[in-house]
Amino acid sequence: MKRLQQRRQPRSFDPTTLEIYRALYTSVAEEMGITLRRTAFSPNIKERRDYSCAIFDRAGRVIAQGDHMPVHLGSMPMAVAAALREIEIKRGDVIALNDPFAGGTHLPDVTLISGVYEEGTGDGGRGSGAGEEGTSGLRFSLTPGPHPLFYVANRAHHADIGGATPGSMGMAADVYGEGLRIPPVRIMRGGEISEDVLRLLLANVRGTIERRADFEAQIGSLKTGAARLLEIVARRGERDALEYASHLISYSSRMMRRTIASIPDGEYAAEDALDDDGITDKMVPVRVRVMIKGERARVDFSGSAPQVAGAINAVEAITVSAVSYVFRCLIGTDVPASAGLMEPIEVIAPRGTVVNAVHPASVAGGNVETSQRIVDALFAALAQALPQKIPAASQGTMNNLTIGGIDPRTGAEFAYYETVAGGMGARPALDGMSAVHTHMTNSLN
Amino acid sequence: MKRREAQRLRVGVDTGGTFTDFVFQVNGRLRIFKLASTPADPSSAIIEGLRRIARETGARWREIEVVHGTTVGTNALLQRRGARTALVTTAGFEDVLAIGRQARPALYNLNAVRPAPLVPDGLRFGVRERVTASGEILEALDERALASLVKKLKTARVESIAVSLLFSFVRPEHERRIADALAALGVPLSVSHKILPEYREYERTSTVTINAYLQPLMGTYLSRLKNHAPRLRVMQSSGGSISAAAAAEEPVRTILSGPAGGVVGALRAARAIGVEKIITFDMGGTSTDVALCESQGMRMTNEATLAGLPVAIPVMEIHTVGAGGGSIARVDEGGSLRVGPESAGADPGPACYGRSLLPTVTDANLVLGRFGGAGLLGGEFVLDEERALQALNGLAREMSAAARRRIDAREAALGLISVVNTGMERALRVISVERGHDPREFALVPFGGAGGLHAVELARALRIPRIIAPTEAGALSALGALASDVVKDWSRTVMLEATSSNRAKILAAFSEMEHTARAALRREGFGEARQRHERTLAARYKGQSFELEIKWTPGVNLVAAFHRAHRARYGYAQEANRVEIVSARLRSTGIVERLKLRRAGRAARKGVIAPPHDYAPVHFADAARRAAIYRRDELPRGARLRSPCIVTEYSSTTLIPPAARASVDIYGNLIIEP
Repeated sequence: MKRLQQRRQPRSFDPTTLEIYRALYTSVAEEMGITLRRTAFSPNIKERRDYSCAIFDRAGRVIAQGDHMPVHLGSMPMAVAAALREIEIKRGDVIALNDPFAGGTHLPDVTLISGVYEEGTGDGGRGSGAGEEGTSGLRFSLTPGPHPLFYVANRAHHADIGGATPGSMGMAADVYGEGLRIPPVRIMRGGEISEDVLRLLLANVRGTIERRADFEAQIGSLKTGAARLLEIVARRGERDALEYASHLISYSSRMMRRTIASIPDGEYAAEDALDDDGITDKMVPVRVRVMIKGERARVDFSGSAPQVAGAINAVEAITVSAVSYVFRCLIGTDVPASAGLMEPIEVIAPRGTVVNAVHPASVAGGNVETSQRIVDALFAALAQALPQKIPAASQGTMNNLTIGGIDPRTGAEFAYYETVAGGMGARPALDGMSAVHTHMTNSLN
Repeated sequence: MKRREAQRLRVGVDTGGTFTDFVFQVNGRLRIFKLASTPADPSSAIIEGLRRIARETGARWREIEVVHGTTVGTNALLQRRGARTALVTTAGFEDVLAIGRQARPALYNLNAVRPAPLVPDGLRFGVRERVTASGEILEALDERALASLVKKLKTARVESIAVSLLFSFVRPEHERRIADALAALGVPLSVSHKILPEYREYERTSTVTINAYLQPLMGTYLSRLKNHAPRLRVMQSSGGSISAAAAAEEPVRTILSGPAGGVVGALRAARAIGVEKIITFDMGGTSTDVALCESQGMRMTNEATLAGLPVAIPVMEIHTVGAGGGSIARVDEGGSLRVGPESAGADPGPACYGRSLLPTVTDANLVLGRFGGAGLLGGEFVLDEERALQALNGLAREMSAAARRRIDAREAALGLISVVNTGMERALRVISVERGHDPREFALVPFGGAGGLHAVELARALRIPRIIAPTEAGALSALGALASDVVKDWSRTVMLEATSSNRAKILAAFSEMEHTARAALRREGFGEARQRHERTLAARYKGQSFELEIKWTPGVNLVAAFHRAHRARYGYAQEANRVEIVSARLRSTGIVERLKLRRAGRAARKGVIAPPHDYAPVHFADAARRAAIYRRDELPRGARLRSPCIVTEYSSTTLIPPAARASVDIYGNLIIEP
């Protein structure tokens, strides 16, 4: 992977072309989301839009993400990195993973990744019409080509991923009790669904028809993303497209550095806590120190509670997402959520704590509870530096609700998951909003 | 004879922000004029125009039939000037409007605000009753509760009431009883099972509330207008017209009245020359509307939003982006050239209007010579080129700093145009490629002041093979209103699996709706021969949440048709899955008399290149070129045009860059092969 890292500093760019690529790449990620939403089966994906889509360069650096779920923001790149570490993603392969300790967040969030390979035929005309190929809807074309130009990925929260409780969000004491852990595996190989892998997955989750359909919708969304990226390459040339992907990453990084430079230098500390972990009555503190120096920030979570027995442990990906979200809010304009955003920010999250839990911690609630408290703690720290910008703490939870069991009318299994909105903290010059999803989530009901 | 002709006179009227457009046909000739709009009371301009038409034609003007595209409802909603409205809903669901879908409007904006509900806290009333999803009564509506509700509403002094109960589309009797009891209050009522008998309670309640919010205002406006023009019809958002009485009853159907007229007008122009599949591109000062029409006509959606509020009745699928001629360009802190969403509007306006130094899309077009030196509105409005250049120089300096090389005003202007075109292209892709349509099968129809300046470049980007720049592009909405049929949409949620045993039930739902529809059209004076009823089904795979529309024909294999439609739209089908019919929809059309199209004045000898009015330098991406300048009203039909050239007319300008081929068809439309 190292050898693929940018070989040279990106050269100067053209402001017009940069803006055009910003729009192009962002719209690819958005369109992947539309396909996923429109074709998925579980209410959590199709109605509540609990998913994210992103595109990556061939080194696995994120270029753009749709404005989907903030909690996926910083963590999708880790999923792609984990997949690339384990598996060579060939033409027509789709990798699935959810392992919280290897690029995932919590088990229900399953990420699918595929490579975008150049078409061999040079038929520039095939671009514009979606679904032209008709019958083999779920097949990538298999013309030869050496390396992927890009990767595309999406992450969707499945309503159930096995484990002791329907909805897979229960109070297990370790990750084994929470459901099925999927390391990076090929769910599709050479353009064909790996039925073996899929059967193994589906045998371990509730609501197999819905799960299978949701996986197919995720694959369809990757296909949409790949087709759109290839159109961009066909129209504007591979070199230009890849070069401007790099420029976009630098662009996000410049925007972030300017934002940090506008925060007064200094060290700002704050602490928040979860009431308990659901097993003992002990408070679970999250402590953070934000150090701002010039254009760079260091965010240090040392002193946060050691990981706990209850399922509120956050893995590092979530903590990075929370930091990324908070700083992204400070930019004040729409900037591509690319790898550049985090370039000037260093996150220190000690291993074995609630902000960087290690195997075999249970983690279901780290994503939906602890992540919100990390954001509150970060904003509390930054409020000392920017009192005119930062809102008061919000509800600090996502209010998870899962319902599941056997439908007495049909005898069929079912699982249902949603999160419930709450209040947003007051803004310096405005009331907070009521009944909204705050910070790390923005799903619908 | 003359007298009888005059009595049949029909006039299309479209109220815009600046002008009110009038279109009518007399002695087979289409006549068009514009009057300044009267925003305080839009009917004043209309009445003045009708008087003028009566004078010119000798028609008894109270007998003129008027088809009206109006923004009265839209503006009232945007500016929150509607009625003091109450909502009656199932107890426990009073806050559905305030909670909405609970998502926040912008992900990373800490100062985002959601639009407040149209009905404030104290005016949302819950009634104890409950109907289940399958239609059983879980809790009966209590007479005493009803009496106390009436009393509460009376003291609340509301001007209109929306009624929207849970699952009333399955079993409407509670809603009916409430409506009967509330009738005594003598204020307009909007009842959900009549306006939108479909599921999704937030969207349904929102739609019904918007309707109630607009009823009093629209009622007053239309009845005032009706005093002068008793034969009044109103354009609705789905592309047909409805009677003034129906529009007053269901004003939510008029919220896209004006833009819908534009699409109908564009479609009429295209169909006259045998083209059915078009993409319309209406670029104005602050926003741009795009829409797609297939061979069956315009695409509909029931997922529109206006002013941040969902409107779930079928409206034409018009996609709007907040960029137009007035959009302002700047270089952001990261060095990217941004255009919009801020707009210079009409005041102060683009730099070339003489009151600002804001570099806008219009200024860029001017600096590049793309107005052909004509100014706007046929030269009535002079543009200040010096100022435009000064504004673009400022932008060029910012761009030079970001790019670390020298960029001049022309290059900045070209960059600005490419960025705004990227946004437009994105909008066109949303309605075509993203919906499974291949742009290569469509013609692009630009209108609005700036549409023609950007059309060729966009057509090239999307590989659209043909552009039709219609005559009367500046009054297309009024023309569309005049040409539109009378349309009424009916729908019913059925929730049935697509099996042969359920065909009878589906058929029964259709026959029932059609029976009502036939009677309604007869009452409006349409005999059987002038009625058309189209049946469609909204279907999905069992388990999905979004439907695709498929056409119902007597022999249709619904399941196969659905698989095909799903594959076309999303790239795959799930042959093993069951298909569920969610709603049966009927579109009933009363066919109005066709407009006879006028052939353009004189004809050119076949294939002859028209002599330009003038020449001027125009800047393109590669170089500056000497372009021919044509005046649209001087072009004979059948003529070919030199390229590059600019065609100017009263309310718009068309740019034909090098290598594009343009000619004039028999009706005076410009046909461009990009």
